[in-house]
Amino acid sequence: MTSPDSAVSSAVSERTKPHVPGELGIWCFVAGDLAVFTVFFVLIALGNGDQAQVFAQSRASLELWIGVLNTLLLLSGSWLVATAVERCRESVQSGSGPDTRGAALQFALAILTGVLFVANKSLEWGIKIAHGITPATNDFFMYFFVFTGIHLFHVLIGLGVLIALRRVSRRERLDSKALRTIESGATFWHLVDLLWIVLFALFYLI
Amino acid sequence: MNGIDTHSGKDHLFYRSMRFCGWSGVVAVTFFIIGGMILGGMLPPMLSPDEPAAEFARRVSDHVVAIRIGSVFLIFSFALFGALAAGIAAQTRRFEKAPAFSYLQLMFGASGTVVAVLVAFSWALMSFRPDEYDPAVVQMLIDFAYFLALFSVPVFSGWCLVIALPILFANEGEEPFPRWIAFFNLWAAVLYAPGLMILFFKSGIFSWSGIVALWIPFTAFFLWILVMSWGILKGAGSARG
Repeated sequence: MTSPDSAVSSAVSERTKPHVPGELGIWCFVAGDLAVFTVFFVLIALGNGDQAQVFAQSRASLELWIGVLNTLLLLSGSWLVATAVERCRESVQSGSGPDTRGAALQFALAILTGVLFVANKSLEWGIKIAHGITPATNDFFMYFFVFTGIHLFHVLIGLGVLIALRRVSRRERLDSKALRTIESGATFWHLVDLLWIVLFALFYLI
Repeated sequence: MNGIDTHSGKDHLFYRSMRFCGWSGVVAVTFFIIGGMILGGMLPPMLSPDEPAAEFARRVSDHVVAIRIGSVFLIFSFALFGALAAGIAAQTRRFEKAPAFSYLQLMFGASGTVVAVLVAFSWALMSFRPDEYDPAVVQMLIDFAYFLALFSVPVFSGWCLVIALPILFANEGEEPFPRWIAFFNLWAAVLYAPGLMILFFKSGIFSWSGIVALWIPFTAFFLWILVMSWGILKGAGSARG
């Protein structure tokens, strides 16, 4: 019979092998969500092909700096989350909880980048609506408001996930189950980032 | 006695009930394909919300027999959601000390069944006397059917959420369903959300005939039924031992 300690250490060594982060299920979610967003991307591209003039004119009226700022915010958030996960992983490997305070701080900063993203997006929408530009203006703005709105919904869910991750990372001791939760949640946040980068390119750059 | 083999501890009655619930989902999807897709003209939608009321009345009147037969299949399909809901809740209940999530699942499942059954009522009613009703009434009944099916986001997303949470919260090896089913439910919950947009658009991809607000939620929902049916049948298998 194995003692609880050796069971934990064997579980730990199991986790430190090269492995897929999180668990199968979260990748199932990621694949499903990417499939749906691929449909969105194709719809935007088709609209762009059908109404090239309208899309080009509307695109020119977007504030590029807001889009760039939002991209930078999400990229920084992803970097913070990735380093926080690395810290948690090290903490699980060493079997103690030395550095999780740092990880919690990084999760908190990542939450801040997410909140700033939401604020910046609200500002952008506010400016557009103040200028009389709404989803009813043309197809470009209909796609713009709805698809970035669906993405914003993902950001809000992601913020909830990050708040949960910060709480998990503050536990006295992290076990492999906690690490699985942290890795799965972080994977979702990276998905939110990835989706934005494609939307940013489609709406602001092309 | 009571279907329980006291020597082996196996519950044959439970096994049979769960198989009934699991297969109900498969039958519900089959009947929807016959009633809603082949005969009834619900998917792909035979009309789009920006067409004039007279066009609604004319189209329904042209296909009145097919729509009526389709509606019969539809009401059986949607009523079977209740059995699916019971099967999911029963499987969740087996792993609970005191029932909480299984009750929530029953509430959402029962509400969802009522909403879905009303879709079939609305579909049947529009084909009852399409030439005598004012065309605007026919139009409204079709609108009503799609609003029941698509605008009911919190009912169906909430159902998925209360299925996912007990799986995610469970200790290792005590999950009522495989963990990936939890993530599948979360995915489905997100995909129903675009259905809310049908209130704001009368044409295009976000209207009740569009790809984002109609096709994505419907595809996710019927895929979800098949996955949950599989989950129930698998749970039944484990109960059999």
